[in-house]
Amino acid sequence: MFLINCPFCGEREQSEFKAGGEAYLERPKQPTELSDDEWAEFLFMRKNIKGVQFERWNHAHGCRKWFNIARDTSNDQIKAVYKMGEKPPVK
Amino acid sequence: MLNYNQTIKNQKSYQGLQMSEINPVMKLIIRGKKRDFLSAVGKSLNMVLPTKANSSTQSEKLTALWLSPDEWMIFSNGVVKENTNSYETETLLNRNISKLNLGAVIDVTDQYVRIVLKGDKIYDLFQTGSPFNFNEFRNKIGSVTQTIIAKVDVIIHNQNQNEVNLFVRRSFSKHLFSWMNDSASRL
Repeated sequence: MFLINCPFCGEREQSEFKAGGEAYLERPKQPTELSDDEWAEFLFMRKNIKGVQFERWNHAHGCRKWFNIARDTSNDQIKAVYKMGEKPPVK
Repeated sequence: MLNYNQTIKNQKSYQGLQMSEINPVMKLIIRGKKRDFLSAVGKSLNMVLPTKANSSTQSEKLTALWLSPDEWMIFSNGVVKENTNSYETETLLNRNISKLNLGAVIDVTDQYVRIVLKGDKIYDLFQTGSPFNFNEFRNKIGSVTQTIIAKVDVIIHNQNQNEVNLFVRRSFSKHLFSWMNDSASRL
């Protein structure tokens, strides 16, 4: 459990949020031309790194807005929270 | 309001806490992003929508709660007529907002149940089931929050010192009310 500073509502507990997984995944421009393996790669394969990861989160039980978080996956420390469309802070 | 079955039949009171449903109350959700939307709502209702997070504004007849940067809830301060499903405010907003494509107006009168809690133990009760930090909230009249109580989504509005409006989805209202009664009996 940890606190997340929602860019719209302020500091709230994690249980009010839903995690949306890794951010900045680019959807293939021509999905029909991909092989099954390549498509599976896009759909299911994630980096799953140990360290700072950029993620999407949704304040599901609050303002219902999506935003980005840079979180250290090893100790749940949140390095930065920023709105969708804003530039990610450099590590 | 036609065919409305009240989910919470009676008022409950405990030492320093009273709970009851107020009905029928008109409730609307309005959504919009444009600047024109804000000014159109302001002009039609003669009140300013709160643009600051977690806040509310009040006029003589209506209260507007901030829910999200582009979403507000408007409810009537008093009770409305029981024998109709159309409300003056809704018709007015439909004409000035929806018809002009400035935003959306949704009638949620029957979707949300308004429970009023009074007394000095309100926040002791909330503490038993909510992860939200009410320290700032309780000292600031007019503040609004959406959070969870006993895993149920609620909208809480600080109406006055020791008086709080709680909006909960109708299907959860019976359960939440009984949970709150159980919890209040052990405060």
